[in-house]
Amino acid sequence: MSRESLTKFWLRIKALVVRRRLDRDLEEELQFHLVMRAEKNGSEGSGPEEARAAARRRFGNVALLKEICRELWTFAPLETFWQDVRYTIRMLLKNPGFTTVAILTLALGISVNTTIFSVVNTMLLRKPPVQDPDRLMMVSTIDPTLNFNADQSGVSAPDYLDWRAQSGSFAGMAAANFDTVTVSGDVNPEQLPAARIAPDYFAVAGVAPALGRPFLPGEDQAGRDHVVILSDAIWHSRFGSDRGVLGRTLKVNGAEYSIVGVMPASFHLANFPSKLWVPLVFTRDNLSDAGRADRWLNVFARLKPGVDMPRARSEMQSIAGRLAANHPATNKDRGASVKTLQQYCIEDNGANSALAFLMAAVAFVLLIACANLANLLLARNNARRREFSIRSVIGAGRFRLARQLLTESVFLSLLGGGLGIGLGYAFLRLILSRFNWNADTVAMAQEITMDTHVLAFTVALSIFAAILFGIAPALQISRGNSASDLKEGGRGSTAGRAHHRLQRILVVGQLALSLFLLVGASIFVESFIEEIHAKEGMNSRNLLTATIPLRGLEYLKPDRQREFAASMLQHTANLPGVESAAISTDLPFNFPGSTHFIVEGHDVASVEDAPHCGYFAVSQNYFSTTQIPLLQGREFTSADSADAPPVMIVNEAFARKYFPGASPLGQHIRFGPDPTQTKNWSEIVGVVGNVSEFLGQVQPSPELFVPLAANPTPLLRVIARTQTAPLTLADSLRGAVWTVDSGQAVTEVRTMQRVVTDSGGGDDLMAELMGSFAGIALVLGAIGIYGLLSYLVGQRTHELGIRMALGANPGEVLRLVIRNGMSLVVTGVAIGFLASLALPKLVTAGFQDMRFHGGWVLALTPPIVLLVGLVACYVPARRAMRVDPMVALRYE
Amino acid sequence: MAPSPKILMGEKKSDSGDLLRDTLDLLILKTLSRGAMHGYGIAEYIHDISDDVLRVEEGALYPALHRLELRGWLAAEWGVSENNRRAKFYRLTVAGRRQLADETAHWARMSAAIARILEPA
Repeated sequence: MSRESLTKFWLRIKALVVRRRLDRDLEEELQFHLVMRAEKNGSEGSGPEEARAAARRRFGNVALLKEICRELWTFAPLETFWQDVRYTIRMLLKNPGFTTVAILTLALGISVNTTIFSVVNTMLLRKPPVQDPDRLMMVSTIDPTLNFNADQSGVSAPDYLDWRAQSGSFAGMAAANFDTVTVSGDVNPEQLPAARIAPDYFAVAGVAPALGRPFLPGEDQAGRDHVVILSDAIWHSRFGSDRGVLGRTLKVNGAEYSIVGVMPASFHLANFPSKLWVPLVFTRDNLSDAGRADRWLNVFARLKPGVDMPRARSEMQSIAGRLAANHPATNKDRGASVKTLQQYCIEDNGANSALAFLMAAVAFVLLIACANLANLLLARNNARRREFSIRSVIGAGRFRLARQLLTESVFLSLLGGGLGIGLGYAFLRLILSRFNWNADTVAMAQEITMDTHVLAFTVALSIFAAILFGIAPALQISRGNSASDLKEGGRGSTAGRAHHRLQRILVVGQLALSLFLLVGASIFVESFIEEIHAKEGMNSRNLLTATIPLRGLEYLKPDRQREFAASMLQHTANLPGVESAAISTDLPFNFPGSTHFIVEGHDVASVEDAPHCGYFAVSQNYFSTTQIPLLQGREFTSADSADAPPVMIVNEAFARKYFPGASPLGQHIRFGPDPTQTKNWSEIVGVVGNVSEFLGQVQPSPELFVPLAANPTPLLRVIARTQTAPLTLADSLRGAVWTVDSGQAVTEVRTMQRVVTDSGGGDDLMAELMGSFAGIALVLGAIGIYGLLSYLVGQRTHELGIRMALGANPGEVLRLVIRNGMSLVVTGVAIGFLASLALPKLVTAGFQDMRFHGGWVLALTPPIVLLVGLVACYVPARRAMRVDPMVALRYE
Repeated sequence: MAPSPKILMGEKKSDSGDLLRDTLDLLILKTLSRGAMHGYGIAEYIHDISDDVLRVEEGALYPALHRLELRGWLAAEWGVSENNRRAKFYRLTVAGRRQLADETAHWARMSAAIARILEPA
């Protein structure tokens, strides 16, 4: 900038600040000149009045002169912008009805976008809160036998150690195992997500403890490994943020651990929630040859400076290839994949299709809201034609007028956006409270917040929306035909068929979009309803369930497990309000564990050839408590203990698949992780009905049940049939467990019906969300057609009055108006219907396990929209009917 | 030939009267080289010295004065006039003196060129 322009700029800034003084000075300066001129005239012979008048005349237009001088001193564009803003505010305040409707409509449309974007932002866009997040990698095993996420399989301990030793692309590599632990001690035991980590995990991740220290290199050896690092959340909740917490102890899985550090509040990985960290210790089994097949670790690695991802990837692939060659039994066909942590987490989510659909739905809602606003503005433009014509005639350029309208649009939009943020926040809280069908989603829900990205997005979206709905009205008004508009009573009504074409198109578009959304939502809703009403195979009412993960060294012994189970069962069954109780390794509708098995007479060579099925170890009254029907044979009794000959019950699917046409009773099965090694054969003594393993399962899976007493386990699920509402007995249940052992956590206390819904993986939430958005869209669309029709009727009052004066009866007028309105509705519905034919395919592409049955969905939604449209047309039509011809003819 | 300052500043120009405006600037700067003066004084001086030929309209004078002040060629100060009235006095700044020299030279060149063209062939 040249010195001159700098000076100029600076003086202008000063002028901005001392505005009023500038005006006064100018006034005084010109006044002085005037007085001097008058004096001179007077001294030359005119009288005082005449002198002043002459001076004035010479001066010319003082006001204009002042204006010119003032303008030199100010920033011209800033001034006009500020003028526009002030004018906008005045106009909006003068029309409170219009302003309110506009802002509310925008707020509705923007708020749902804000809400969904908050979720998308956290799950897909946010980078992990570590140093240099794009250089933090996840190295995982590629397992071609998996159907889902084949390249994100876990890593075994020997593989990890080999990878670490042989790779040169990484500055550090650290393994972690994410699990749950029971934390106990002074307060009630709690099950928490935790991680066992290699000593350099935090260094690799790129984050340091806020208090204390990370783990030291030797602390991953047995004997020195009873140290723990807390998360900020646990430090706060269990230790009250006491800075003297270092050195105190915490009981983890029954053993004392010494606290050596606390992580900062900002450190949390969304997909790997951990409330505390302990050292990762490898046992001899982990490191054995067989342990190479046990893929239980997640491996984090940080790229060396100067190394890029493709190079790291190819190096890891060749290392994996070498391992596959050297250890064919465990590593055949297993590769290695390198991804950024963020990429890995995104693919791990499994919610990406759902998010895509939700984002599309809310985008459509916003479009429909914008169409409403465009129509509102277009209608209002008509009323303001004269105002703009006058301004244009005086000298306002077309651009200036358009800018005025755009300023109004942006203003409305930002106000709507502001309100939208508030609404969006409320919606978000509502949604997050339902985001809880498993522990992972609960953790994720805590991560989802509205941060600055979301706010920036909302502002940008508001401005974009303003341009979208404001551009057409702005262009239209600035193109106005001055002469005819200035005339008194310029109506532009029937001559304006073309005028209103844009508005009709917008309404048709709105209705089409509404129908489209409605059909989409119906698919989700119908699918979920079908899932929920499918035959359960049991009685899920009044059933209380809980999970007790037994932790502690003593519970490694099967006898202790058995004793605990028996004791707990007895205490639970004796609780007042409990009709019967049972224990199982897994609940129905809860994705059970599985086991391999061999049917007698169908031997196999190795475990890989053995079939597998669902596995349940259950107590005696499992089937009677859950009311799963017994189809053949008998249930387990107290005689089926550990010493008795092993027995088994199978479900109908199992019987049908492996014993088609014959009864399975009396047949023998061997089962286990490697059934070729199992010595004992179990006899099938009963067949029970099928129960789904998750909501929406179409084909029942084969399952086998064995007595819990003979097959004890440390992970127990208790099921109790209650006489009253199940949750009222939750505390009693906990008490019963703690009577047996006060150090064990009681988790996931839910009713069976909740278990069923939760296993839908959020299907219920998805259906509700899509349904809500479609509902909002429909309401906005109805408002749209109602608004347009009201406006058109208002425009045509004169014409309708003439019709009625000429003899048309009110009924005919009603029909006329309704016909006009419904023609728009029908067009919109037709277009929307055609577009939505593609939806079922689209939905099943995104959600593989969703079945789309029947056309009742497609058949029902158009009538709904037609009906809503009819109602929306009826009200303005009735108003038209009541037009008094005399009043209308006089109406100007 | 130095480009007109207005091109440097990129100000809004009117199509006609540019030459007149430049000339007015020159006259004002020259007038003030004799000492500080208020707006009325400048107008009277030009009127007198040019033997009533050049009459500066107030509508042109004050925008010019303010423009020159914005460019830093004039500095303004409130003072008391000869008949005890409060008036705004303008004086030439250092940059203004430089500009005066430039414009004078430019004017001399222009008038010499015009004179050469008007000479009887």
